[in-house]
Amino acid sequence: MHLDPFELHRPTTVDEVVRLATELAGRFDYLAGGTDLLPNYKMHLNAKPHLVALEDVRELRGHSDSRLGAMERLADLEADRTFGRTHPGLTDAIGEVATPLVRSSGTVGGNLLVDTRCFFFNQSYFWRSSLGFCLKADGDRCHVVPQAERCYATFSGDLAPALLVLDAEVEVAGPSGRRRLPLGALYDPGGDGIRRTRLAPGDLLVAVHLPPGPPGRRARYKKLRVRPSYDFPELGVAVAGAWDSERVRSLRLAVGGVETLPRRFDDLTDPLVGTPLTPEAVNRLADEVQRRVRPVHNTFLPPDYRRRMVGVYVRRAFAEAREGSAG
Amino acid sequence: MSSRELLSFRLNGHPVEVPCPSPRVLLDLLREDLRLTGTKRGCDLGTCGCCAVLVDGRPTLSCLTLARLVDGRSVETIEGVSPPRGLNPVQAAFVAHGATQCGFCTPGFVVTATALLRSNPRPSRAEIERAISGNLCRCTGYIKIIEAIEDAARTEE
Amino acid sequence: MPSSEPGPYRLLGGRIPYVEGPLKVTGRAEYTDDIQRPGMIVGRLLRSPWPHARLLSVDVREARALPGVLAVLTGDRYPTPFGVLPITHDETAIAVGKARYIGDIVAAVAATDELTAEKALSLVRFEVEPLPEYSDPRSGLSKVAEPIHARGLLGSNIQKEVVQHFGDVDAAFARAAVTVRFRGRFAGVTHAFTEPMATVAEATPDGRLTVWSATQVPHYLHRALSEVLEIPMHRIRVIKPEVGGGFGGKSDPLPHEIVCAALALETGRPVKILFDREDVFYTNHGRHPTQNDVRIAADADGNLLGYDIEALIEGGAWSSFGTVTTYYNGVLAMGPYRVPNFRYKGQRVYTTKPPSGAMRAHGGTNLRYSIELALDALAEKLGTDPFDLRLRNALPPNSTTINQFRITSTSFVKCLTAVRERSGWDAKFRRLPYGRGVGLGCGFYISGSNSPIHFTPKMPQSTVHLKVDMDGGIAVHSMQADIGQGSNTLLAAIVAEVLGVDLERVHVQRVDSDVSPVDLGSYSSRVTFMMGNAAREAAESLRDRLVAAAARTLGEPAETLEVGHERIGVRGRPDRFVTFLDALHAAMETSGALTASGSYRSPTMGGTFKGARAGTAPAYSFAAYVAEVDVDVETGAYRVPRLWAAFDCGRALNRLAVEGQIEGSIHMGLGQVMGESMNYRSSRLLNPSLLEYKIPMPQQMPKVEILLVGDDDPEGPFGAKEAGEGPLIATLPAVGNALYDAVGVRFSELPITPDRVLRGLDLRAAEHRPWKGA
Repeated sequence: MHLDPFELHRPTTVDEVVRLATELAGRFDYLAGGTDLLPNYKMHLNAKPHLVALEDVRELRGHSDSRLGAMERLADLEADRTFGRTHPGLTDAIGEVATPLVRSSGTVGGNLLVDTRCFFFNQSYFWRSSLGFCLKADGDRCHVVPQAERCYATFSGDLAPALLVLDAEVEVAGPSGRRRLPLGALYDPGGDGIRRTRLAPGDLLVAVHLPPGPPGRRARYKKLRVRPSYDFPELGVAVAGAWDSERVRSLRLAVGGVETLPRRFDDLTDPLVGTPLTPEAVNRLADEVQRRVRPVHNTFLPPDYRRRMVGVYVRRAFAEAREGSAG
Repeated sequence: MSSRELLSFRLNGHPVEVPCPSPRVLLDLLREDLRLTGTKRGCDLGTCGCCAVLVDGRPTLSCLTLARLVDGRSVETIEGVSPPRGLNPVQAAFVAHGATQCGFCTPGFVVTATALLRSNPRPSRAEIERAISGNLCRCTGYIKIIEAIEDAARTEE
Repeated sequence: MPSSEPGPYRLLGGRIPYVEGPLKVTGRAEYTDDIQRPGMIVGRLLRSPWPHARLLSVDVREARALPGVLAVLTGDRYPTPFGVLPITHDETAIAVGKARYIGDIVAAVAATDELTAEKALSLVRFEVEPLPEYSDPRSGLSKVAEPIHARGLLGSNIQKEVVQHFGDVDAAFARAAVTVRFRGRFAGVTHAFTEPMATVAEATPDGRLTVWSATQVPHYLHRALSEVLEIPMHRIRVIKPEVGGGFGGKSDPLPHEIVCAALALETGRPVKILFDREDVFYTNHGRHPTQNDVRIAADADGNLLGYDIEALIEGGAWSSFGTVTTYYNGVLAMGPYRVPNFRYKGQRVYTTKPPSGAMRAHGGTNLRYSIELALDALAEKLGTDPFDLRLRNALPPNSTTINQFRITSTSFVKCLTAVRERSGWDAKFRRLPYGRGVGLGCGFYISGSNSPIHFTPKMPQSTVHLKVDMDGGIAVHSMQADIGQGSNTLLAAIVAEVLGVDLERVHVQRVDSDVSPVDLGSYSSRVTFMMGNAAREAAESLRDRLVAAAARTLGEPAETLEVGHERIGVRGRPDRFVTFLDALHAAMETSGALTASGSYRSPTMGGTFKGARAGTAPAYSFAAYVAEVDVDVETGAYRVPRLWAAFDCGRALNRLAVEGQIEGSIHMGLGQVMGESMNYRSSRLLNPSLLEYKIPMPQQMPKVEILLVGDDDPEGPFGAKEAGEGPLIATLPAVGNALYDAVGVRFSELPITPDRVLRGLDLRAAEHRPWKGA
């Protein structure tokens, strides 16, 4: 397999990246770890004439308890045992991404912005040409939802749900300077399923910031997939919060792997704050989340099963939530 | 930036300079331009692990690594992991335990296992299983591969 | 660890590391894609984007005019049909007249580089007429508008129909105390070897053609090349480099191999065709998607009275081994139990999908799943233990089945006894809590086919040549194909064993049709048995001449001599010997370098009715496995934490290799149970990738305990039988029956994915049938 020709850019500072990104708007992709982008390029999926490699931008590297550089590799987070102890739910998610070889190159930012997936999209040019191209690449129709005017490909990152429940913020550099926004606001539910974020031309995801959590916060990420390695999530459920049998002090729940974007369910969890977290409350929450999500048939496991598992995985995530040693 | 500028990096301990266009991945550079054919192409899409090499000591899918991005870095392939004569402990254990059958996945496993034992000299069985869970083997059911890595860990102590 | 009994042999019966292991662990073993020839160019294939289409016209002018393009081929250039079975030659190197599936090869290009070749392919213009798509085999059972092949039965898409009846099945069912029925449905699965297919071909000015290819059966490739390219076999040289796994997927002569040679002939340049992983999936030849229906009758004591079996087998676009498959899906029911009455109807139907073919434990796997699950249902109805039912019905040694299979050695009863004890069966069966269970599955497979393809039974199925010269190194030539299973190692070990020499003296040469005598290659689990016997005969012939020379040197009668380690000496007189090298040099005084040849012919066997040879084998393997499962009843996910595998391969000649074959077979069998499947939307393969084709991970493997309990087979080399394919079969029903023990559902649709487990549990709950109190 081969990559079509492109021009490779290797900026070394964030400012340089933003300048390049502004200049090349619409004609480039960022290259982070490459483990998602390059397979797509080899299959000639939306390949661009320019690649801006972020490899050499020092500021994007590194991590601390409260900041993850966008180019920090997943394997480096995984290897940091202290970080693992303090961020249990996030560590669950990181350790379940793809394979060790993918995590060795794959990055935090790359996983947050991983392309959506679909049986009818993640195929070779030949395969797609034989069926007729779809609206996500080279065509204008959807093979999953007939008459669809938007794309239903599935959001397949593991980190996003786990970070959403930690109230993570993303730091974005753009032509008009730096800004911070909640991770949830990075994803744009108003999009067509193809454009999925609120990143503007010239924007660069610089880092993820983790605000301090409440004392005694617990968290868990649970991933549904056929095999314990390789597979993208068929469902990912993240919970985080501080609770005991008396009272919920804080609570977040997010789901990924079933729709075009990861979703947080604050309208269901906020009313639980101040109330006791009874098994019945967890069940009601699980049932309601399950009722709301709408997977389509574009991954390995059938959508009715994936949906049914939402409830099970929510209940289990609560049951298995572990406390991080530093709040 | 010219599209065929010289790429220079350390390959198996020795500096090399080679012209390399931007879209070339490291696997193609190694196999086709440098004729180091020990690194195998099983899928070209990061889903088999046959092409694993070490980049700055880190196990890496060479099929998904732009060759130009190893500029100035150190790359170790199966040829570099192998001593000039004989076998390293991981390789010797793979032979003794029958951890090779068709052998096509073997260089990737040897590279991955070598990196594992460098960072974790006494891995548990679960850690071994996890470390190799990005390398596919269709012949062995992994059992003898895991035994070989456990044995190599004991030998290397 | 397997049971271990010290055997009478110096090497055989031990754990012999693979002879090519050091080359493989260092990346030095040479596979086809590692071959580089001077001036080599690239061949690429254009595949049909249409499931079924008439090719009305093709325009290749633009493609041919592209700079860097050296040849463009379409089907009309080499239209001679071929196929692995002489009776079903329905393939062509490149589609002629019609394209029959998405992925069918419709044109080929040779160019200086990959990009140019791909560009050229995009410039080939076809005018086509779309034809009806036949993605469901049932739609092809009667006359269709446009048969996929003209040879379909009576205008249908039926490629082969087999009807057999032995005894009187209706009478058996009429007098039965108990009958059971199990209907299984099996998705297609594929070999998924790690090395994609690759071929290099070079035509030279001396009028010869050399082809290097990743093949399991160099000889059939040799024949197909000759037939299609119309070049006599002696002007074609086929070389088999290391092969990165085959499992049956590299046993047919494949179209791209012929195309590659054709491009080399057309251009005069060496040409390489290397497959992408997607190409491998389109080439397939994997296990047939199958629907079977097994009915079993027994008397009140549990004696089996008869089987009534039907199978609908989906062939995809070509015949491949399909005629054999159609027979095997019935006749491989003939063991490991006595079956006094037997009726079978099997149909293999073409569909507009990638061709099915031979995959490890070909024809015996899906059938066995259904039989073994039916037998457990029978045992339950009879109120008897699954082991007891099987023990009661075990085929005895030295018997003949109702369809006249000759059974010689069987250690099936020992398999059952050993695995029952080691697995702790009696304490676990129906006694583990809800969600956990144990299951028994058994196996039976041919140790080589008695009926060789392309040969009369009078021709040997395997020949081995030895040559030894001054240096004392022994060169071994044979066209047996080591594809990772360790046949080179066994060949070397047998020669070394017989001659008493160190293994390092023996050098198994690369398969090269110019020098390797014909062996039919690696399929039907034939190599150990057939090549092993040929190797033994060759080595014994060489040994006899060395002993004669030693007798002359020592001045002792040859009958008093024996072969020791690197020496030949007088029996009982440790001081009276000559070294191997001295004996060799003495023997060479009269003839120079010594050569020897050995061969193997399968004995005459089987009945005289139509299809009687199908499934006849010089020996059969037997297996009894117990699997333990642990089901998460809320998600339907399950694990197989333990598996005990009792296997009768006769004497295990290389325990390392036998264990490796069993462990690998269990992995592959588990894959078919747990998640592997070729998923289609109509005729379109949805998952042609190693990401979406779900091969099990290390964490999914059970702890495996292997019990090698076989007695020596009377005809196998040193008592050995096959261990390459049979070990897969019992895996599937052992898990299937364990799932029943765990949750009370007999799953009939494979793979048994978590969603299917939950559906099964839902159905059971809806019927208010509690299981183990749940």
